[in-house]
Amino acid sequence: MRIEETARHALKPALAKAAGLSKRYVQRAPFSYKSFVIDALVDVEFDIAPASLTALVGESGSGKSTLARCLAMLEKADRGEIWFEGKEVSRSSDRELKALRPKIQMVFQDSAGALNPGFTAAQIIAEPLEVQRRESGARLHSRACELMEEVGLSPNWADRRPLEFSGGQRQRLAIARAIALKPAFLILDESVSGLDLSTQAQILNLLLDLQKAHSLTYLLISHDLGLVGQIADFVAVMQQGKIVEQGPRREVFANPRHHHTRELLASVRLLRSNFRTAQAGGR
Amino acid sequence: MRKKQKIVAALMLLVALHLAILLAGFIAPYNPATQNRDFPFVPPTRFHFADARGHFHLRPFIYQWTVRPEGFNEYEEARGREYPVQFFVRGPEYTIAGLVRSDVHLFGVEGPARIFLAGSDGFGRDQFSRIMYGGQISLAAGLLATGISLFLGLLVGCISGFYGSWIDESAMRLVELFLVLPWLYLLLAVRSFLPLHISPTQTFFLLVAVIGTIGWARPARLVRGIVLSAKGRKYVTASRGFGATDSYILRRHVLPHTYGVLLTQAALLVPQYIVAEVTLSFLGLGVSEPVSSWGNLLANLQQYNVLASYWWMFAPALALVIISLGYLKVANAIHERLQSDSI
Amino acid sequence: MKYLERRVIHGLLLLIGVSILCFALSAAAPGNFFDEMKLNPQISPSTVAGLRARYGFDQPLVWRYGHWVESVLRGEWGYSFAYNCPVRSLLLVRARNTLILTGLATLLAWLIAVPLGVWTANRRGRWDDRLSMASTSLLLSVPELVIALVLLYWAVRIHTLPVGGMASVDFGGLGVQAKLFDLALHLVVPVTTLVLASLPLLVRHIRASMIEVLQAPFVQAARAHGIGGARLLFRYALPAAANPLSSLLGLSVGALLSGSLLVEVITGWPGLGPLLLDAALARDIYVVVGAVMASTLFMIFGGILADILLVAVDPRVRLGKV
Ligand SMILES: Nc1ncnc2c1ncn2[C@@H]1O[C@H](COP(=O)(O)OP(=O)(O)OP(=O)(O)O)[C@@H](O)[C@H]1O
Ligand SMILES: [Mg+2]
Repeated sequence: MRIEETARHALKPALAKAAGLSKRYVQRAPFSYKSFVIDALVDVEFDIAPASLTALVGESGSGKSTLARCLAMLEKADRGEIWFEGKEVSRSSDRELKALRPKIQMVFQDSAGALNPGFTAAQIIAEPLEVQRRESGARLHSRACELMEEVGLSPNWADRRPLEFSGGQRQRLAIARAIALKPAFLILDESVSGLDLSTQAQILNLLLDLQKAHSLTYLLISHDLGLVGQIADFVAVMQQGKIVEQGPRREVFANPRHHHTRELLASVRLLRSNFRTAQAGGR
Repeated sequence: MRKKQKIVAALMLLVALHLAILLAGFIAPYNPATQNRDFPFVPPTRFHFADARGHFHLRPFIYQWTVRPEGFNEYEEARGREYPVQFFVRGPEYTIAGLVRSDVHLFGVEGPARIFLAGSDGFGRDQFSRIMYGGQISLAAGLLATGISLFLGLLVGCISGFYGSWIDESAMRLVELFLVLPWLYLLLAVRSFLPLHISPTQTFFLLVAVIGTIGWARPARLVRGIVLSAKGRKYVTASRGFGATDSYILRRHVLPHTYGVLLTQAALLVPQYIVAEVTLSFLGLGVSEPVSSWGNLLANLQQYNVLASYWWMFAPALALVIISLGYLKVANAIHERLQSDSI
Repeated sequence: MKYLERRVIHGLLLLIGVSILCFALSAAAPGNFFDEMKLNPQISPSTVAGLRARYGFDQPLVWRYGHWVESVLRGEWGYSFAYNCPVRSLLLVRARNTLILTGLATLLAWLIAVPLGVWTANRRGRWDDRLSMASTSLLLSVPELVIALVLLYWAVRIHTLPVGGMASVDFGGLGVQAKLFDLALHLVVPVTTLVLASLPLLVRHIRASMIEVLQAPFVQAARAHGIGGARLLFRYALPAAANPLSSLLGLSVGALLSGSLLVEVITGWPGLGPLLLDAALARDIYVVVGAVMASTLFMIFGGILADILLVAVDPRVRLGKV
């Protein structure tokens, strides 16, 4: 099964690929001339098989979100290449970018911040359609309502503002917006962390359903190795701006090569066992 | 709740004042330019309810002023005949906003008596009518100049905040320059570079342009700050991800945040600019006779004898203060509202 | 001190900026400058022709600006067409008179505003605070122009105050004491106007800053230690509000200068205001530029003075935290 799976993906060329990607942030403290640099990405080599779910894990501040933003071309890397559907795209013109953007969509880590608080739910979901001139007028609204239903939100709430929704509902709103343009590649930055377990499960099921329906490719960013262990086809591990390990999930989980991966896995197991003993002790 | 009532009251006062000044022709009993050489510096008319025979009248009436025989520009009431105050009377023809022609006035008295609510000036012109008509000039100047300032401020602030880099840097230096200069000095300086002897209409628009251009700096700086913080929001990045253009982002995500500041600034700037127009006209650099504005009405007081003897020549100042007070109240209310919103 | 040096350089740059702005504006103005001047009976046609040649009004703006800078460096500050003399000789006396007026007004306004603002902040919401807020908001909507006119009317009525100017006719023959008294009498109306006009904003700002400080933990702690009353307000809380207040001082000088221009014109105080107004009416461009530069200089000095006071009160600034 595992070999089959690997082989299936290996036959096709990567949908998205990063080669030698580097990004450095220079930050200046206020009222001071001193500045310091943060190497958020260091020579990142990374590829994503089509119609797969790749999980990107790593400790906080390891550069996951930065990599995601670079892949979504929301930020320019300092060096390196980004390939999408067999083309180098990191130096695309505005025109090429406009054609490319609908194919790559991203759901942001901070769902409250990524939704304009002044917009209604329907306006939020309709924004990509409006921008890309896919629909207009009344069709825009009805399409937005369809999308709300698709992610399990009642269209009755179309006129509510984002702050009236709960965290999980906002997450769905953000996902509905991201799939509005029917992208080929969807990046989900911590879209399920911070939610309660049943909501997590609902959203994951939703994502898997969507994948079946639209043959999506996912990049799922997460802290949570336990969760990743259940649904990912591939796993990539980041540490301090580098991808330190990458491969099919079972392989990585069963036989971690990099010590950082081992540490991460060990900490998950430790947590689980602690949790069990705590439960046992409580009983 | 009480706060809300206050805002509503202030707003209603402002609307009523503006409406009254817009309808100057209807509210003012006389043509502001009509002179009565026999009645220079007549004091405000007094209203009476009880006549000389001790009869009480429900409808107030007035007496005509006559020159006191021994005095100079001193008047007394001619008690011989009562002139009841009438409403919706026919009088000199006027147009409102250049559209509606009419000759019906809100109030008036039968001739030959004249009703001088705020006295008359040195040419015997009715000062109340002059204040109403002058208000049109002063308010229009304030509103138009505010429009110019806000437009320029919005333009510069948006470009500066949105595109940043050297544009921002140089625009903000220019803002600093304009903010550091005492505005009246700058106003006079700019005015002095412009031609002096031009038609009143030209003067008016030049004045508006000058006042409006000088005040662009503060709104520009405020708008820039808001644009800067708005464009750093995650939802703007998200919008870029859908392929949104700069103009779309500005229009949909950035501009709506500036409305609050623009509104507060407007409420602060309008009275300031009205005062600026009044000041310039007072100094003889603005709108000049025969067109009246609150500034050149007040300029009468520059003559020592007028200042010393005819207190009613201060009436335009009262109008100015009431308008300023109304705007100030509204500005405060909007400001408080915005602050409570942001918390 | 590094900090002050930077301020002075910044001020110089501002001055240069203002002068360039003035010249640019004068060039952008429509109509020929000298055509208007010919209409002015104060200036003879030969003077106009001579000046035209001398100041190179056919030359490009940059040339004129260079010429003016040169004359500034020579200490002339350009040439007055109307008065037929270098601008500097006009400016010096006038600037001194404006300085007397605005300096005194600033001092008085702050001496009244600080205790009032501190006191009302401490009494927030009580009857005296409400009264002060109500009266400042009323005063805020009375323009200087009106205040000056009303005060002048009052002076006319009570007959004991002079109604304008800076000195009585017999000023030359008076002794030193009598001279000072005479000057003080003449100062009453303009200074009161300026103080009344600038007071409301000052009180409100001081009150707002103080309210913020009074809520700070260290003030609460001082209260808990039993420090209270005036000592708490003036020794503990007020210095903590020094930073916003010093920038307020800088700004208030600017507002006061604008107000002063008008008040000077109305009360006949021979300061920069009437000079600028006459120059504006006579289109005496270098006097206009000179007066604007002088007012800018006052603003910059006001700012620097505010900074020096701030450094004296708040040692954090000295350590380069701002
Ligand atoms: N816009 C930015 N400006 C400056 N530094 C940044 C910026 N964005 C990210 N960084 C820095 O780059 C590094 C990587 O950040 P990134 O957000 O990619 O981490 P992450 O792996 O997503 O962390 P988390 O799991 O907490 O979301 C961090 O040290 C962060 O401080
Ligand atoms: Mg992240």
